[in-house]
Amino acid sequence: MSSFARYIIRRSLSIVPMVLLIIALNFFIIHLAPGNPAQLISGLEQPSVEVVKALEEQYGLDKPLVLQLGLYYKNIFQGNLGYSFIYGTSVNGLIAERIGATILLTVSAAVIAFALGTLIAVLVGRRKTRILDSIFSVLSYVFYAMPSFWLALVMILLFSSTFKLFPTSGMFNVRASYEGWAKIWDILHHLFLPCLTLALIQIPVFFRVTRSSIDQVNQDEYITTFTAIGLPRKKIYRKYVLKNAILPGITIFGLTLGYSIAGAALVEIVFAWPGMGRLMLDAVFRRDYNLLLGIYFVMAVCICVAILLTDVVYAFVDPRIRYQ
Amino acid sequence: MRKLFVFLLLSTCFFAAFALAAQTLVVAYMGDPIWFNPCAKTDDYGAAINRNIFDQLVAQDVNYDLVPQLATSWEVSEDGKEYTFYLRKGVKWHDGEPFTSRDVKYTLESIVTNKGSAYNNVAMITEVVCPDDYTAVVKLQDPYAPFIPFLAWYGTQIMPAHLYEGTDWNDNPANQKPVGTGPFKFVEWVKGDHVTLTKNEEYWGEGPYVDRLIFKIIPDPNTALQAFLNGEADIDQNRPGFNTLSILKMNPEVNVVINPSPSRYYLGFNLTDPARPTTNLKVRQAISCAINKQAIVDKVLGGFGGIGEYFYTPAIPWAVDTNVKAALYDPAKADKLLDEAGYTRGNDGWRFALDLLYFQGADWTDMAAVIKENLEKVGIKVNLGEYEIATWIEKVLNAHNYDIALLNGFQGPDPANLTMRVATGGSLNIMGYSNEVVDWNLKEAAKVSDIELRKPYYYAAQAQLAADAPFVPLAEVSYIYIFKTYVEGMDIENPGKIGTGSYALTKLNF
Repeated sequence: MSSFARYIIRRSLSIVPMVLLIIALNFFIIHLAPGNPAQLISGLEQPSVEVVKALEEQYGLDKPLVLQLGLYYKNIFQGNLGYSFIYGTSVNGLIAERIGATILLTVSAAVIAFALGTLIAVLVGRRKTRILDSIFSVLSYVFYAMPSFWLALVMILLFSSTFKLFPTSGMFNVRASYEGWAKIWDILHHLFLPCLTLALIQIPVFFRVTRSSIDQVNQDEYITTFTAIGLPRKKIYRKYVLKNAILPGITIFGLTLGYSIAGAALVEIVFAWPGMGRLMLDAVFRRDYNLLLGIYFVMAVCICVAILLTDVVYAFVDPRIRYQ
Repeated sequence: MRKLFVFLLLSTCFFAAFALAAQTLVVAYMGDPIWFNPCAKTDDYGAAINRNIFDQLVAQDVNYDLVPQLATSWEVSEDGKEYTFYLRKGVKWHDGEPFTSRDVKYTLESIVTNKGSAYNNVAMITEVVCPDDYTAVVKLQDPYAPFIPFLAWYGTQIMPAHLYEGTDWNDNPANQKPVGTGPFKFVEWVKGDHVTLTKNEEYWGEGPYVDRLIFKIIPDPNTALQAFLNGEADIDQNRPGFNTLSILKMNPEVNVVINPSPSRYYLGFNLTDPARPTTNLKVRQAISCAINKQAIVDKVLGGFGGIGEYFYTPAIPWAVDTNVKAALYDPAKADKLLDEAGYTRGNDGWRFALDLLYFQGADWTDMAAVIKENLEKVGIKVNLGEYEIATWIEKVLNAHNYDIALLNGFQGPDPANLTMRVATGGSLNIMGYSNEVVDWNLKEAAKVSDIELRKPYYYAAQAQLAADAPFVPLAEVSYIYIFKTYVEGMDIENPGKIGTGSYALTKLNF
């Protein structure tokens, strides 16, 4: 077996204990938070002690915590994330219904942000034009500091209410109920604003990381050597600077993908995008332990896998780290 | 010429599309329902949708008066322990099965045995007897005067026995694809995006007039308002903050209609711990005087609703004693009362400090800010504690770990609702208030059915509440309807005909 394959297998196996530990931590942290799901389901209009008791029994909340955790592990190994307290259906189903919309939104935004952020950094980094550099630096600070829900509302007011170019929210035109290609076009039409909002907030991260990495590589001694021996600047930049300078961007891209499962919650809420982030916040506020644990489990797996994939891609792009 | 032709063709298409769209009523809506089992769990977001899919025996209209739905009439026995309902004939479930007394028996008995959301209101039912298909006799353990008003409230929609009988009602496929008797049939629920209903051609009552009714889920009220203004929705049921309503009222294309509701904002005192100043009556009276309720109505509630004057909601006029009033705004008197109570100002100007706990949300935050300013003027330092609902319940209701707390809530459809808020051990008695006079009067009032006979008991309870001041009524809640002017036949325009939240009579008249 090649050392590269062994490297991948070793890294994959290390994910399992990590995820199990994360589940236990999540489990106890969630139960530490004040609030009782049965009481929340029973409501504040006419709370009833009998109803709360019946719900606690139904959901096994009256059992000791360690026993509850044991049962949860048992279910996980059977591929069952349990039963949602609020929605009364399986957590697997609830996540499956929402995960598509979230991935569509966050992955498209991450790809756009990665591509544009890196491209701008590369263009600005090559030509030492101070003005462009300053403009993009300031812009990147502005967008990076902007709260996503605020930018989202500005986008709606600007592009939906003022220019009437895009719908405010949702994923479908419910009045028209399109089929086939028209439906795909309709979804893309609805996707545009939330995707742009997310991308605008993520572009500065990619821009700044790549930009500073270009600066750093430019100062490396081998670049000075290449310049000294008279290699054309263009060639140095393309062949030696860029290859090294893009590496940190790949790390950020991988992490962004890992966090994307629930990381866009605020944007999803403002644009009423039917994704996982909203499902998660709802589960937090209503103390739906099983649903929350299920979402955290999927998130943990995604982040671990994303980090693994990043390392693998890294190993491809940068052979130096493969044999360490 | 050719250009003109194209223009005409395009505009025809446009109007044709418009005519098609006119059949669909879109409601901007706050959130996803839990599911479509109308009786199993308290479901704030499912309630309004379920009212269009299901019917009750009897419903409430917008004025909280009774409207017969599946029961055409009913009788109460002499001893008040037997209610006989005469059911509507020829009603069909959405799957074609006939509606009978068996459905009534199944629904009411299941709420009791499965501890449904309306359990408190129907727990006194011992059994439901069905002498024939169109008569249901409900037997109660003890006479319970407010039985019918509570039956007309929430969590009592009649469910199809032919689908649920013999199954676990928490795990029935009909919870995801409901079958009702209401004006609209279920089509689809795209989670997080929308719920689509279609016209029930065989509905027993008048209507429905629109072909499709869509609840479009938009959780952010600001987005919902923009979607509504841009024509993506015809009705905005996700009310924006009160501060935007005054601007919205000036929009000629929008109707903003206000309906008083038996829900009210109030401030509760923690009476459970003698170490807290709030257990001192004079302190409570002083705080009642120190709060400027008119400022809360004007600054926080956008002028809607009105101040809380009485010790029960004026929206149930027969039960409220308008001669028993809460203290008026008088900071000088508050200062005097606090001095008398022995809490003189220290060198730093403060008498003592209180923790004020309230829910998240713009309206609550603003209200807490006004109260903090009012109380600090009379030397009471206020520490603000803003919590999401789960934590608030834990701290205020379960642990009584607070000094003063804000809440609101529905106090109808009958004054028997006061029991859970102020009677000893009441499930929503955050104050921990306990008074024999109040307990006795509330208990006796529920035993007789004649309103005139019940009134004196409720009046006596209110007089005792005014004397003890366990809470300060702050403001009355108004329910706000926001819809486009082309939307006609809303429930607010049809009291006595349809239940609250029903879109059976709604039409689009462009």
